[in-house]
Amino acid sequence: MSTIELRALRKRYPPREPGGAPQDLWRGLDLTVEEGEFVAIEGQSGSGKSTLLHVVGGLDRDYEGEVLVLGERLRTLSDARLAALRHARIGFIFQSFNLLAELTALENVLLPDYFGDGVPDAGQRAREGLERVGLADKASSRPTALSGGERQRVAIARALLARPPLLLADEPTGNLDARTGEGIIGLFRELHREGMTLLVVTHEVRVSRAASRVLVLREGALFPDPRLEGSA
Amino acid sequence: MRPARLWKLANANLSRELGALAVSAGGVALGIGCLVFFLALGRGLQRVVRDVFPISARELEVVVPQVGIGSLFGDVRLDDAAVARLRQIPGVAEAFPRLALRVPAVTRYSGPFFGREIRMGLEVVGVGIPSALIGGDAHLPFVDPGEGEPIPVVVNRRLLEIYNKVFAPQRGLPTLTDSMLVGFEFPIELGRSYVAEKTLAGAYTTRLRLAGFSDRAPLAGLSMPLQTVRRINARFGQDTAGYSSVLLRAQRSEQVGEIASAVKRMGLDLDESERSRAVQIGAAVELVTLALSLLAALITALAAVNIAQAFHAEVRERTREIGVMRAVGATRGDVATLILAEAAVTGVFGGALGVLLARAGGLLVDRLAATSLPQFPFKPETFFDFRPTHVALGVLIAVAASLAGAFFPARAAAALDPARALSEG
Repeated sequence: MSTIELRALRKRYPPREPGGAPQDLWRGLDLTVEEGEFVAIEGQSGSGKSTLLHVVGGLDRDYEGEVLVLGERLRTLSDARLAALRHARIGFIFQSFNLLAELTALENVLLPDYFGDGVPDAGQRAREGLERVGLADKASSRPTALSGGERQRVAIARALLARPPLLLADEPTGNLDARTGEGIIGLFRELHREGMTLLVVTHEVRVSRAASRVLVLREGALFPDPRLEGSA
Repeated sequence: MRPARLWKLANANLSRELGALAVSAGGVALGIGCLVFFLALGRGLQRVVRDVFPISARELEVVVPQVGIGSLFGDVRLDDAAVARLRQIPGVAEAFPRLALRVPAVTRYSGPFFGREIRMGLEVVGVGIPSALIGGDAHLPFVDPGEGEPIPVVVNRRLLEIYNKVFAPQRGLPTLTDSMLVGFEFPIELGRSYVAEKTLAGAYTTRLRLAGFSDRAPLAGLSMPLQTVRRINARFGQDTAGYSSVLLRAQRSEQVGEIASAVKRMGLDLDESERSRAVQIGAAVELVTLALSLLAALITALAAVNIAQAFHAEVRERTREIGVMRAVGATRGDVATLILAEAAVTGVFGGALGVLLARAGGLLVDRLAATSLPQFPFKPETFFDFRPTHVALGVLIAVAASLAGAFFPARAAAALDPARALSEG
C-alpha cells in the first residue's frame, strides 16, 4: 500500500481582482509515495510546495481531487479523525521551527502528548528523542536559549514523539547554516534508513541529494528531476 | 485533552500574556469586588434592620379593631374565650395575651445611680404579659408578687441600647449592661399622672424591680406579670377581662397568611405597624442593594467585554502557535478548550482578587464608621455580613463572565484554518 496517493489534485485561489478568473495553483497533480521512500519536492517560491504538504498533512482541505494518506481518504475524515491521524501517524517539521517560547525543550517535544489520548511513554520517548538529536543536556532550556540548529532538532524530536510512519518537512534547513543543515540532513538519512517515509519540500540541492526521489513542482504539475534522482 | 496538560499549556500562555491578562483580571476583580461588597453591605444592613425591628416571621399581633361594626355592637372582645378561639386556629402554636395597665403611673427617683446622683420623673406605660412570652430573659421570678412586694418588670432590650447610645452620653451617665441593672429597684406611683396632672382616688406607691431585658417585651413601657396588671386594674375598678392584644405564634412562617385571614374572619384585626415598618425599611435596603448589585454586574459585563478584546488580540498573536498545535494533533475543540481554560483561570484570579478587595473595602468602611460616625442606637460593629456564599458567588460569576468574554475568541481560534494559520501567523 502506498503511503501517499494524490490523484488529479487541483487547487484554486480566488481571483485577485473582483470579476477576475480564479487562479489555478495546480492543474491536476498525481503523486504516489511508497512506504519507506524519501521524496524531495523542489520548486520556485509560490509554486505551492508548502500548500502540497499542508494538503497531504490534512491541514488544508480546500482542494479538488483525491488525497489518500496512510490508507485514509482525507476528504472523508472528520476534524477529530484528521487530528488523530496527524497526532499519531504524521510528523511535521517547519522551516521556522515553531516551538512554543514558554515551554522548555522537553515540554515542546512533549506537545503532541498534550492532545488526544496522549502518547504512550511520552516522557521517556521525549528524553530519548532529545538524546537522539543530541540535545539531552538542553531538555530544560527554553527555545530562546537555543541556536537555530538546536531549535530545529527539538522540532524534529517533537515530530518523532509519536513514532509516526510519515514525516512531512517544509524547508527544514531553510533557516540554518550549511553545517547545521548537514546535521539535519544526516538525521533524515538515518530516519529513511530506519524505514520512515519522508516527504520534504526544499529549495536546497543538498537536501534533495539525500532523497531517494526528487520531483520538481513547476507550472502546476510535478516533474521528476533527472539530475538528482537516485543519488542518495 | 487531559486537565493537567491543559493547565500546563494554559499556564504557559497566561504567563506570556501576563500584562494584558492582569488588566482583564483587574476589570473582573473590580466588578466582582463591587458586587460582593454591595451584597455583604445589603445583608449587613438587613441585619441592622432586624436588630432595630426584631420581627419574627412566625408572629402576629391581634388587636380589637378600632372602628368596626363588631366593636360598635360591643361583641368583639379579646377575652379568655377569644384567646381560646385564637389558639384553635389551625397552625397556631401559642397565643400570648397582653393586658395594658389601664391606670396612670409615674416613677420618681432621686438617689444614687451606678456612681452618680440622679433625679428623674417619668410617666410609666405598663403592659402585662405572660411569663412564657419572655422565657429565660427574666433573671428574677416573673410572677405577681402580691400587694406590698416589688413588682418584677422586664424592659425591651432596645431601650437599653437607646439609653446607652443616646441618653447616657448626653447626660454623662454610665453605660450599663443587662447584668448591672437586673435587681435594680425604683419607686412607682400607681394612679397618678404628670401629663394629665391628676391623681386617682386610691393612688399608692410601690416599687418596681428590674428582672431582665427581652426583645419579646413591648418597646413602649415596662412589662409586668399579667396577673399583677390585672390586680392593679381591678383595684382601680378597670376592666380586667378584655386583653389589649394577643401575640400569636405560628407553627411555621408559611402559615402566617392563613392565620391572619382566620383572625380577620373572627372580626379581629392585626397590628402590623412595626412589622410593616420593618418590611418597608427591609425592602428599601433590598432595592438599593439590588440597584448597586446591578451596577456591579454592569462593571463585570464591561470586564467581560475587555476580556473578549484581550483574548481576540491574543488569538491573533498566537495564530501560528494554534496552527502548530493543530499540526501535532489538536482538534478544534482542544484549541477552544485551551482558550476557555485560560479565561477560567483569569476569572478565578479576578474573582478571588475581587472578594479580597470587597473584604478590604468592608474593613475600611467599618473603620471609618467606627472613628468618624457618632454613636447611635444599634450602631453595629460592622455594616457588612460577608458569607462563604459571597466568595463562591463572586468567583463563580467571575469565571462565568470570563468564559462569556472568551467564548467568541475561543470559537474564532477553533475555526482558524490550520494551513493558513501556519502560513500567515
